[in-house]
Amino acid sequence: MIRTALAMSGLGGLVVAFFAVFGGMALVTGTGVIIESGLRSSITDQRLTGADVLVSAPQSHWEPESLPIGLPERAVVPAKLIDDLTALPGVATATGDVTFPTALLSAAPGTTRAGATGETSGTRAAGGAPDTTSAARTGRGTLETGEHGAKTVNGASDATLAAAASTSAAQTGEHGAKAVTGPSASAAPTAKVVGGTGHGWASVALVRGAKVIGSAPRAADEVAVSAAHAVRRGTDVEVVAAGKRAVYRVTAIVDTPGAPALWFADRTAAELAGRTGGPRAGTVDLIGLRAAPGTGPGALAEAVERRLGDDYVVSTGSAKGDAESPGTAAARSMLIALPTSIGGISLLIVGFVVGGGISLSITRQRRELALLRAAGATPRQVRGLVAVQGMTAALAALLPGAAAGYALAGWFGELLVHLGMLPERMPLSYSPLPAVAAALLLLGVVRVSAWATSLPASRMPAVSAVRESAAEPRTPSSVRYRSGLLLIGASLLLATPPLYIRGEIAVVGPGTAALVSVIGLALAGPRLVQGATGLLARRLPAHVPAPLWLAVSNTRGYALRTAGAIAALGMAVTLTTSISLSHTTVMRATDEETAEILKADAVVTAPAYGGIPDGLMDDVRRLPGVTAAVATSTTTILTSPFGDGGLQAQPAAVLGPDAGAVVDLGVTGGSLADLKGAAVAVDDRSGDVGDRRTLVLGDGAEVKARVVATYSRVLGLGPVVLSRDLVAGHTTTGLDSTVLVRGDAPLDRLTGHWPGLGIAADSDSPQAGRTSSQLWINVAVLGVLLGYVLVSVANRLVATTAARGPELTAIKRLGATPRQLTAMIRWEALLIALTASLAGLAMSAVPLVLLGIGFLGRPWPAGPLWLVPAAVAVVCVVVWLAFDLTARRLIRRA
Amino acid sequence: MNHVVTLTGVTKRYGELTALDDVSLGFPRGRFVAVMGPSGSGKSTLIQCAAALDLPTSGSVVIGGVDVGTLNETKRTILRREHIGFVFQSYNLLPAISVEENLTLSLRLAGKRPDRPWITELVERVGLQDHLRRRPAELSGGQQQRAAIVRALAARPDVIFADEPTGALDLRSASQVLDLLRSLVDDLGQTVVMVTHDPAAAARAHDALVMADGRLVDVLPEPTADDLAARLTGLAKRPAFGGAQ
Ligand SMILES: Nc1ncnc2c1ncn2[C@@H]1O[C@H](COP(=O)(O)OP(=O)(O)OP(=O)(O)O)[C@@H](O)[C@H]1O
Ligand SMILES: [Mg+2]
Repeated sequence: MIRTALAMSGLGGLVVAFFAVFGGMALVTGTGVIIESGLRSSITDQRLTGADVLVSAPQSHWEPESLPIGLPERAVVPAKLIDDLTALPGVATATGDVTFPTALLSAAPGTTRAGATGETSGTRAAGGAPDTTSAARTGRGTLETGEHGAKTVNGASDATLAAAASTSAAQTGEHGAKAVTGPSASAAPTAKVVGGTGHGWASVALVRGAKVIGSAPRAADEVAVSAAHAVRRGTDVEVVAAGKRAVYRVTAIVDTPGAPALWFADRTAAELAGRTGGPRAGTVDLIGLRAAPGTGPGALAEAVERRLGDDYVVSTGSAKGDAESPGTAAARSMLIALPTSIGGISLLIVGFVVGGGISLSITRQRRELALLRAAGATPRQVRGLVAVQGMTAALAALLPGAAAGYALAGWFGELLVHLGMLPERMPLSYSPLPAVAAALLLLGVVRVSAWATSLPASRMPAVSAVRESAAEPRTPSSVRYRSGLLLIGASLLLATPPLYIRGEIAVVGPGTAALVSVIGLALAGPRLVQGATGLLARRLPAHVPAPLWLAVSNTRGYALRTAGAIAALGMAVTLTTSISLSHTTVMRATDEETAEILKADAVVTAPAYGGIPDGLMDDVRRLPGVTAAVATSTTTILTSPFGDGGLQAQPAAVLGPDAGAVVDLGVTGGSLADLKGAAVAVDDRSGDVGDRRTLVLGDGAEVKARVVATYSRVLGLGPVVLSRDLVAGHTTTGLDSTVLVRGDAPLDRLTGHWPGLGIAADSDSPQAGRTSSQLWINVAVLGVLLGYVLVSVANRLVATTAARGPELTAIKRLGATPRQLTAMIRWEALLIALTASLAGLAMSAVPLVLLGIGFLGRPWPAGPLWLVPAAVAVVCVVVWLAFDLTARRLIRRA
Repeated sequence: MNHVVTLTGVTKRYGELTALDDVSLGFPRGRFVAVMGPSGSGKSTLIQCAAALDLPTSGSVVIGGVDVGTLNETKRTILRREHIGFVFQSYNLLPAISVEENLTLSLRLAGKRPDRPWITELVERVGLQDHLRRRPAELSGGQQQRAAIVRALAARPDVIFADEPTGALDLRSASQVLDLLRSLVDDLGQTVVMVTHDPAAAARAHDALVMADGRLVDVLPEPTADDLAARLTGLAKRPAFGGAQ
């Protein structure tokens, strides 16, 4: 990069402007693609391809004057609407659809399904030597099964499991399917579990081109399976549907593209999905309409909208994907929210770099511009010329920049998918729009900065223009200096929230503070550099080597030139340290507090089952050594973190009255045992026991709840904990996600009956997961931004150094040896690198110290502190390369 | 032989073009020498070679008894610092540092302690004592050139070369600078070699060298302005101007 810049430095500062615009274009276009995807992208593999129109409840929360917030939990539609819609002219059929998680347990090929008939003759060996196959699958599970039919009863542990299994039998028995009783022999050495979704049989009609082989499931113990599951018709399969485990007979194979799915008799599906009683009684997830012949989907949608009004979402075409999976809408609003948090920084940096590049290219032409003025050009003509030049460089950079931007967005999308923040089946949408918007924005920035930079040069009387231009060192403006100092002062105020706000939200302050102070530094920089180097020059012992003395004098004399580079490099240092370290600090604090909160020795999850299935809890409790087990889950609520009414989606933990056994939130009032009914526990700084709260839950429902406990440890589980009763009926799966286990128990035994369980020793809080993916996103964005800043600074340094040929020749003629010239350049590089590092560290120091005090109780942030020397080293290397490589040629030629 | 700088058979070529063609001469100590000649005749090339700012293509330049051609870049610089002061037409003051700092810059580079009384004397002689704290850009052209002369003298060089020191100055300023140079020779015994186009300026010198087409064509001791003007007009009329021989 530096070599390229060097080779092209002959083209003048316009090269710097070109690269600045190129990078800026890439960043803004990339951000634009993310935002556009947030508005328009849709999932690629719809399930209900045969429906012309889908009717669903709104999956986003609208507040006046703000962006809609995506609601990740399914909001339901009353089933009685189906009849209304069927009666509507133009509707051929209206079908209610529900979705719930299912898991198909299967034995390895070649093993017989001994337990499938429901006899309690299964055999299971507990304990024993680790089985490598299943250990590999579950990560740590050890499992060994005896031969089929052999009874290897192994003491008390086996008896416990048998008892546990009969409990689940009692539960599943309700809806008539053959209950699996006893530890099933399906727990063959390679027992597998395949997750999928479950629906009512009627939904098959909404799948276009579904080939059905067999007959519809009618009885409660019948099921149709998608071809992807690869089971044969007529066989019995063991299924965990919406957490309920039972054996079903396969009556049909449905050949559809897409994810594995199971179809149950409609009534069974409604029961499993909890629509025959309880909070969601008489509802469906969505209603699929097929248009009567002669009616188009658009016309049908309009008719439905007229009939239903604004209360429901009527979707056609690719928008149907949103109705199918509410998570995608939430992922989309995340796509919009992401750039609003990091886009500010990017835009700031782009403005900074592009503005700097343009002003550099103009400053380099000051003399020519002055001569033009002397030759009779009006100020307006001079400004016009400058604008045309800047625009030319910018225009040339637009196309390649846009191409790089699309590539960047693609890479960022992959990262989001990798972090699990973006569904894989929801690709980013690419259109020319972001590039066009980015081009307009950048040309605007170029135009404004060209105008602002050329203003003084063009207005000056022609004579003094020539004179001034000869005298390159100019005096930095004092208005600029004072506003810079003001901003730096203001940033100190912004850095204080961690002292009085607890919670992740307090990080916003320090982040903003660092940004504001960086702008302040850029403004006040020239004067500060002048002052500091002036002081240094005066303090310098009389007989320092001439090169060092010259370097100090030059840095002071050309304060404007050096301050630009110092501010940009300082910005790189500040952003690196403040953004990374404030995140690691919060993460550390969250981890520490989570460790205090969760007294669990192990955590059991069941991702393959879509949540903790019924019976698993009891199996856990019955294991020897388990002193307590608490089920918990995480949902989303909309809260107003700043207390100003502006809502934000935030994860919140769901606990029951039994939570106290494993969770120690540092309760300061009330008791977690009262987490029954419509109850919440809250941060003790935000409320008192007995308060009434209105909350917006993850499906958009507004609920009223009583505060039954207050607590002090808010970092681990967040500022609000919800009771299980409160969220019942307001989550998509209705299942808990995690079992927190206390005690030293042989949890591995569970995987025999429940293959595919996740068993982990450490307990991560939901907040911690979120913080760490946020950290990775920030690291990625930061990396790109830093690359951009460093390359552009290197460009600037090369351009300014390359323009110093005459100066170096002059010094050489006055008696400087080549070695002295080289030394002078190196001293200057060192001076600039150190000043930039110091300034950058100073700008991030105050926010980080305050954050450390607020979150960790000590005046320094959490590591990795090697970031600090690393940032300084990178700055030094960049400056040194730019100076040394460029100057080496000049000195040889001088 | 009391020559500060001796050139023997010095030839300087720029590609095809011969800027200096076999020039041999010595600059005697304590004399004020003017170098004249038409534009492009090789005057600047001559004194740059003589001042070791540039190396001849062939021939030798001896300064202070040392053959410049045998030295590397660094040694040449050091030799120059010790023996030579140079005054450029474009002053060559560094804009970033004050006038005073400019005056002692060469000494600093040489690692020498400036001789304060000597510099003060020079500054007073050229009338810059009130301008020392200013930046070079805040001085007039004449003041800048006088500062440049003080800087050239600060290290007490054996000889000062000045390339059209008055070229950018008005008559009054030019006259002040010439008075200064002459007085340096008369009062301090300084050796000065000055390139000029102005016969009146050259008339202030002890000797005038006349260059044409890279050759030394004439040496006029104690020249008058009229002699010089006539001599130069004759040269300018030569039909072979710019040609080979
Ligand atoms: N660096 C260079 N490269 C090529 N040719 C050069 C270079 N420097 C000088 N010349 C040529 O050498 C010849 C002598 O140049 P020089 O500068 O010595 O002339 P001069 O007598 O000082 O003229 P002037 O009175 O105009 O300053 C000219 O023809 C000039 O074009
Ligand atoms: Mg000349």
